[in-house]
Formats: sequence, structure tokens, C-alpha cells
Amino acid sequence: MRARSILFHTALVAAAACGRPAAGRAGLVYYESYDPRSLDPALSTDVPTGEMVTLAFDGLTQFDPDGRLEPALADRWTASRDGRRYVFHLRAGVKFHNGTPLTAAAVRASFLRVLAPGTKGGRPWPLYPIAGTEAYAAGRAGDVTGLTLVGDSGLAFALTEPLAIFPKFLAMPVASVVPLPPPEAPGERPVGTGPWRFVAWQHDDALTFARNPDYWGGAPVADTLIVRIIPEPLTRAAEFEAGRLSVIEVPFGETGRWRAQHPGWLVEKPALRVVYVALNNRRGPLRDARVRQAINQAVNVPEILATVYGGRGVLARGAIPPALAGSDTTRRAYGYDPSAARRLLTDAGYPGGIDLQLWRTASNVELSRAAQAIQSQLAAVGVRVELVERDASSQRAAARTGQADMVILDWWADYPDADNFLYPLFYSGSFGAGGNYAFYADAGTDSLILAARRTVDEASRTALYRRIDDRVYAAAPWLYLWFPKDLWAHRLELRGWDLPVIFNGQRWTHARIGER
Amino acid sequence: MRLVGRRLLMTLPTLFGVLVVAFLLLNVAPGDPVAAMVGERADSATIARLRAQLHLDDPLPAQFGHYVWGVLRGDLGRSYITQRPIVQDLAERFPKTVQLALAAMLLAAVCGITAGAVSAVRPGGAFDRLVMLVSYLGVSFPVYWVGLLLILVFALGLHWLPPSGSGGLAYLVLPALTLGMRSIAFLSRITRAAMLDVLSSDFVRTARAKGLSEGAVVLRHGLRNALVPVITVLGLDTGSYLTGSILTETIFGWPGLGRYVLTAIEKRDLPAIQGSVLFMSLVFVLVNLVTDVLYAKADPRIAYD
Repeated sequence: MRARSILFHTALVAAAACGRPAAGRAGLVYYESYDPRSLDPALSTDVPTGEMVTLAFDGLTQFDPDGRLEPALADRWTASRDGRRYVFHLRAGVKFHNGTPLTAAAVRASFLRVLAPGTKGGRPWPLYPIAGTEAYAAGRAGDVTGLTLVGDSGLAFALTEPLAIFPKFLAMPVASVVPLPPPEAPGERPVGTGPWRFVAWQHDDALTFARNPDYWGGAPVADTLIVRIIPEPLTRAAEFEAGRLSVIEVPFGETGRWRAQHPGWLVEKPALRVVYVALNNRRGPLRDARVRQAINQAVNVPEILATVYGGRGVLARGAIPPALAGSDTTRRAYGYDPSAARRLLTDAGYPGGIDLQLWRTASNVELSRAAQAIQSQLAAVGVRVELVERDASSQRAAARTGQADMVILDWWADYPDADNFLYPLFYSGSFGAGGNYAFYADAGTDSLILAARRTVDEASRTALYRRIDDRVYAAAPWLYLWFPKDLWAHRLELRGWDLPVIFNGQRWTHARIGER
Repeated sequence: MRLVGRRLLMTLPTLFGVLVVAFLLLNVAPGDPVAAMVGERADSATIARLRAQLHLDDPLPAQFGHYVWGVLRGDLGRSYITQRPIVQDLAERFPKTVQLALAAMLLAAVCGITAGAVSAVRPGGAFDRLVMLVSYLGVSFPVYWVGLLLILVFALGLHWLPPSGSGGLAYLVLPALTLGMRSIAFLSRITRAAMLDVLSSDFVRTARAKGLSEGAVVLRHGLRNALVPVITVLGLDTGSYLTGSILTETIFGWPGLGRYVLTAIEKRDLPAIQGSVLFMSLVFVLVNLVTDVLYAKADPRIAYD
């Protein structure tokens, strides 16, 4: 008993000395699974970095938790009728955390900084629709011609071609606005206009933010927001159960238990993501659409979704997630039909079956298990699959260079629009690194995708998206699996927080720890 | 002192060899550092430009020469991914790793040696059998499993300690126990075996015969002479703990070297991997040197010429 109380008091004193408040009392505690790359918007190429940049910075536009586009640093904008020229007007009276006022010149300089070759950021493409940006990024031009100031508080964008979704591109973290001149170490001590001011960053451990009382969108309700870096999902679950994290994505292993024991904790929302197996349309038997269709008929997707993925998703009958305009949830799915699959394989000239490799990575445990289930179901129709397990980096390299027959992957939205699930994934100009890991090329699809991008009218664009998805689905460049549903848990005392459908849709401004 | 100087000089070729091997291995391994920099959707012009800027398309000897030249000037370069200087990253993580390693070794030395020595006094007794059973389990259980079990019991069940993170002493207990567990188990077995050996030797019988108390016999004559193999194990374990421990650090979210290296490898962050490998080799070599010096202290018959 005595040993216990000594240990307990040591623990108490130490916990008090280190001063990390537990959730439920002082502040909000969120987490990332690995350390953000940087806090410099120009380097935000992954989700943790993007989420942290979203806390401290703003773009001209932003997304709300449901993925709707909202005005941000620009309070209004106009588009020319042909969709090639945009004028954004800055909100008045916005100040950076260091007190300097927001100007149109700062916005322009921020964009040029992202594009400048010396920045080595790696994600200039959201700005490429602006005329002259590619030449500037390549070092062939000294300035960007398509980006001009209109008075003190306006910016005019001339695009190379009409792009109705351009305002959504400006909501991506990479297009956040930094002060002019930029701070000394923008990656380590960021200065933005966002709802949270940066306080401290202990790498691989935690980031601390304090509320920005002058935030133009209304200051955050809570005083502090701590973001802890916790790589192991089961440790995160323990931290959450101990009341030291405000929210957490429910670990797959806990899905059943938490659903049964703590339904009050859970929030579920369809995510803007798709899980699929890219079938390399340029390799061996997979060149034949009948073989790819057969693979889609040979796999019992609902069963794998229910067992391996804890039922956390809906069957994919296309590539556009149900939450986005252009999705068709009534499309006739391939359906599980092994005998039809065998017939298709015979028709394609493979009565004896085929041999294929399926690449997976252990860093995604659930997809790795799904790959195993797919292997056994394909074996039943004569498709002999060898599982190739590599680390994520090697898997990605193989997928990008087209060395893999099949790769199991998921795709996360950068902006909530069907274009984000068509142009990168199925346009022939996006082969490999651009996102088209299936190396699917079809001239008809290409011209429809480009037409949709140029179409200003919302309804006609949505109709085009649906047509493209129909056309691609029929060609079966993928083994279509499912659209994940995000399943998160929040502390019962957390108020004013909503699960965002897109990673940069949550700013934590209304969140607070209240009474149960 | 001359010994130390000569040994230090001899570490240079070792470190150079480590550098060469690390560099070559990284270059044959698949995966592209630029892929991790640009993220999931990228354009090929940007990728080509970044590869050129980072000299990734230069011939291998040129890349290697460039790197070695930097190292000689004390510059380990900057991370491709974070753009922070590697030296700064290592300087931030190493103290955390040292903290955890020392706590684990302290725990291991105190518990392991004591348990081993005490159980050797009455071999086959109840205490001896208990220690051997526990150490058997300690060596066999995977670190991963033990770590999660400790979190479950001490953080979630009893609420005595925080589940993970870093901060005060309370945060150190579970990771140090997890990391040190194998050493505790191993050390108790080694100490016991060495002690049994020593306690049955002639000079111990003489010591007993001249009327020394049992405590003095066991501690001064027994333990001291049993120390050489114990120091070997301690030294090896300290060396490996000081270079970071990927599993323990990952489970407990401990911000040490192990996780840093793991992330660097996952992202093919070449300068970060090379810098850490070089640094870890240096630490390992130095710990071995200290171990060798301690041998001579523990047993005057060991001399280095």
C-alpha cells in the first residue's frame, strides 16, 4: 500500500511539474500520427502538415467541416463569364499574428514563394491554373503574369483556361497567406492570420497553440489547443480513454467494442476517400478490359468491407464518393459473380487462369488484410495472386513507375470536388506520380474530363462528372472497393466540434470543454 | 590514456566504412525521397526539378564525395523533408534517448544484478526459482506486447502513470521498464551464472575459511570477480539503447532517436538517415570503448598493450 502511494505521489508531482494539462479540464487536445513536415504552408504536402497549417493560417477561401467552400481572407470574389478571370477582394482589417496588416501584396508574394524553385516545397500544382506560374516555377520567367494587384485589397487572377473549381484550389493549405516579408523561420515559428497562434513545438512530441483573440472569423472559444504526436493507434486509444485526448479516430480493432459500449462517443461521416486496387491497364492480361471486369466480379467486396474493414464504408460503384456532386449511388455494380468472372476470363483467352502480383504495404494494416482476402477470392476463379509486401515508399515507387500489376491504395481528397477523383486518377496526363496509378488512358475520357474542368455551369459539370464516372467504371481500370466512412470518438464533455469530411475543414474555433 | 587515444583513432575507419555501407544500401533500396516530398499528387516537372536540386541525378561517387566533404566540415546537411539541419534534429532527440537509456540501464543494473547475486547465494531455493522464471518470461515476451500491457495495467487500470508522451519522471517509468525488461532478465541470469562460478572457486573457500562474514564474501570476493561478463552485457545494451529504440519509443510516443530514424527511413530522407547512422555508430563505438576501459578497472589482469 505504501509503495503504491509513493509511486502515485511521484506520478502526481511529476505530472504537475511537466504541466501538460489533461483534456477535460484546461484545453483541447488533438493528435497527429507523425510529426508534421513543417509549419511552412509552402511545404504542406501531407495531411499532418496541412492540418497544422490550417490552424495557424488562412487562405483566400476555406472549407467548412462539411466541405462547403466559404470566403476566408477574401470576403467576396467575382468570375468572368468565360471562367478565365477571377478577382478576389480581401477582407478589411485582418492582421497577422505579429500585428502586420494583410495586404494584397502579401498574398501575391505568398503564392510566388510557393512557386519559387528555391523553396523546394514540391506542391506548386494548385497554382498552375494561373497564367505564367509554370514558367516561373521552372525558372524560365522572372514574374507571374497572371497574378496582378487591383488596388490595395484586390487580386486579379488570369487563368490559362477556364476552371470553375479554381476558388477551391485556393483553399488548399499550400495557398495560405504568409506575411511580407516572411518570418525568419517560417517552418518552425509560423506567423499567420489563422485562429490559433503558434506557441511551441517539441518535435515528435507535441505542438502548442493559443487562441488568436483577434481572429477575423471570431476568436476560438478555448484558450489552448495542444496537438500531440502519437504514432501507435492503441496508445492513442489508451490516451483517449484516460481522458487525455479530446477526439480520436476509432482504431479498427476497437470498432465493435466501442460501438457496443460507448455509442455516445461516436461520430460517423462519409469521408471524401476511396479505397481501390489499381489494375495496371498496360501490363499483361490486365490490358484486356474483360480481365479487369472479371476481377471486379470475382471479389466479394461487401464481405471484405464488413469483415476486414469493420463495415466502415459503403460499396464503391464508381470513383466519386457519395458526398460529392456527380456521384451515382444507383449505378449497377459489378456484383459478386464468380461464374460470370470465369466466363469472362475464358472469353478473354485465359481459360487456365492468370498469374498476377498484388502489392501491399504493412504500414496500412487494414488494406494489407483486404489484399489477403482479395487474393483468396481471386484464386477461386483462377487468378493466382502473389502478394508483394513492401514499405510504403517502395510500394509507391512501384505504382508510380508502373512496375506493379495491382496495388491496393486509398485516395484522399485535396478539395471537395469530383474533379479531385477524376482528373488525377483517370486523366492520361496524370500517369504515375500525378495519381493515375492504373495507367488508364482513353481519349474519350480525357476530353470529357477536360471539358468538365472548363464547364462553368454547375449542373452541366455535374452531369459530365457522372458521365465520366459511368464510362470509366465500365472499362474497370480498378478493382472498385469502397468509400470509407470516418468513425471518430469525442470526449463527452467536448462541445462545438464536428468531424470534418476533408482534413482542412476543422479549425477548432467553436470547440470547448463544457459540462457533460 | 594512450590506449584511449589509439582506440579513438581506430574508430575513424570504422565510421568511414559505416558511411560507405549506409550510402550504398540507401542507393540500392527502392523508393524515392522526392516522392515523399511531393506527396500523393505531383507533376513530373516538379519531381525532375527537385531531383536536380538535391543532386540525386549526379553519379554516385560525386554524391558520396559531396556528402563526405560536408561531414568533414561538421555539416550533416539538411533533411529533404523538413528542411531542418540534421545536427539540430539529432541534438533535439539525443537527450531524450539518453534519458530513457539511462533510466532503463539503471533499472536493469540495480534489479538484474541484485536478483542474480541473491539467487546465486542459494541456488535452487525459492527465490532463485522465482527469479529464473521471471527472467525467462522477461527474455521471451516481445517488447511490443509488454509495453501495451503496462499501459493497460498502470495507465488505464490503476491510473498511476500517464499512458504515453514525455515530460516529468512519471512519463519515464513505463518506457524505461519496457526497454529495460530484457536487460533485467538477461543480467540476472548472467550475474547468477558468473556468481555460481566464482562462489565455488578456491579463493572464496579461503575467504570463508579465514572467517570473513558471508556478506563480505559474496559482495567483495564474489560479485567483484563476477563483474566482467556483467559489464559486457551492460555495455552492449547501453550501446544499443543509446542509439534509440524504435519499438519502445513508438509505443510510448517518446521523442527519441529511434522514431526519428524510422521516419527518415520511411520517407527515404537520405541526409537524415546517413546523419543518424553516422551519429549512432559514433555513440556505439564510444560506449564500447568505455566498456573496455571498465574491464580493466574490474579485473586488473586485463591489460591492453
